Amino acid sequence: MASVNAQIKRGSAELAVLTLLAEHPLHGYEIAKQIEAQTGGVLCFDMASLYPMLHRLERKSWVKAEWQALPNGRRRRCYRLTASGRKQIAPLRAQWRAFFQALQRVTGFQNA
Amino acid sequence: MPDWKQIVHKHLRVLGACSPEFTEELAAHLEDSHEALLREGLPAELAFQQTIGQIEGRYRVWLVVRFLLEELMTGFIRKVAVPGLLTSAAVGFFYCALALDHIPRRVIWLAGGQLPLSWWCLLPICGALGALLSQRKGGSRPQRIAASLLPSAILGIFVVLIFAVGFTMSRSVNHYWWGSALLESLGIVPPAFVLMPAAFSLLGAGIAELAPRNPIA
Repeated sequence: MASVNAQIKRGSAELAVLTLLAEHPLHGYEIAKQIEAQTGGVLCFDMASLYPMLHRLERKSWVKAEWQALPNGRRRRCYRLTASGRKQIAPLRAQWRAFFQALQRVTGFQNA
Repeated sequence: MPDWKQIVHKHLRVLGACSPEFTEELAAHLEDSHEALLREGLPAELAFQQTIGQIEGRYRVWLVVRFLLEELMTGFIRKVAVPGLLTSAAVGFFYCALALDHIPRRVIWLAGGQLPLSWWCLLPICGALGALLSQRKGGSRPQRIAASLLPSAILGIFVVLIFAVGFTMSRSVNHYWWGSALLESLGIVPPAFVLMPAAFSLLGAGIAELAPRNPIA
């Protein structure tokens, strides 16, 4: 599969993470794996891109993180979407829709 | 099973010093990643190599750079720029005060240049001031250090500009003295006005780290 430009990846990453967290809280590894699986490997996060972004979202108060103890005694930092974060999803989706529609008009490609 | 907390701490000391919570989160990620690879049937050694590869080489550099950038840029004006500029004003004030004739100035001589030893000795106070001002605004450790080092960074930019202009002018002023004086200064000015001040400011920031801290909401 063709690799996606890094800048588009960066821009889409926040929307992908917020959308995923809208379903249920997840920790960092689960977020990375689920996005990778759902996008067929097109969007892959390494630790250097995932965690700084999650912390940025946390500072914007779009997500809230808290440590949770697992049954095996380990701790995982789970990210949960906040009300403020939930409000961001619709505008971000609208921006991306507008972007793809504009691209479609220029290139003539069709959405799957 | 490898102790991923220990491994992350060893590989990413800088991050560990800045945010122990972040390193614990990274260790948890690696632990999950390692276990997933083992479940997929990879030999233990290969699974370990692939997992640790996520925090080695360019990934390690990127991780540190991205983390520090995020840390520095969050509330940059309030937590770094303003404390740093106030510190720069204090640095400038001390330098001007010491330059006045009626205040005795102790100097040392190095490579024919006059280095302001007294000024350097006051810089830990400025470094501590920058760190404490940043701390009051809730600055993280990288931000506190950056606020302390901002005066040296500003001086560094000035020094680079002055030398750039100087060398450009030396082409039009065709005199051997001009060029040789610039080259001689190159060995004195950057250490005296950038590197040593940075070191002394860092010392002050280190001292400020020992000060008791109020919890910040």
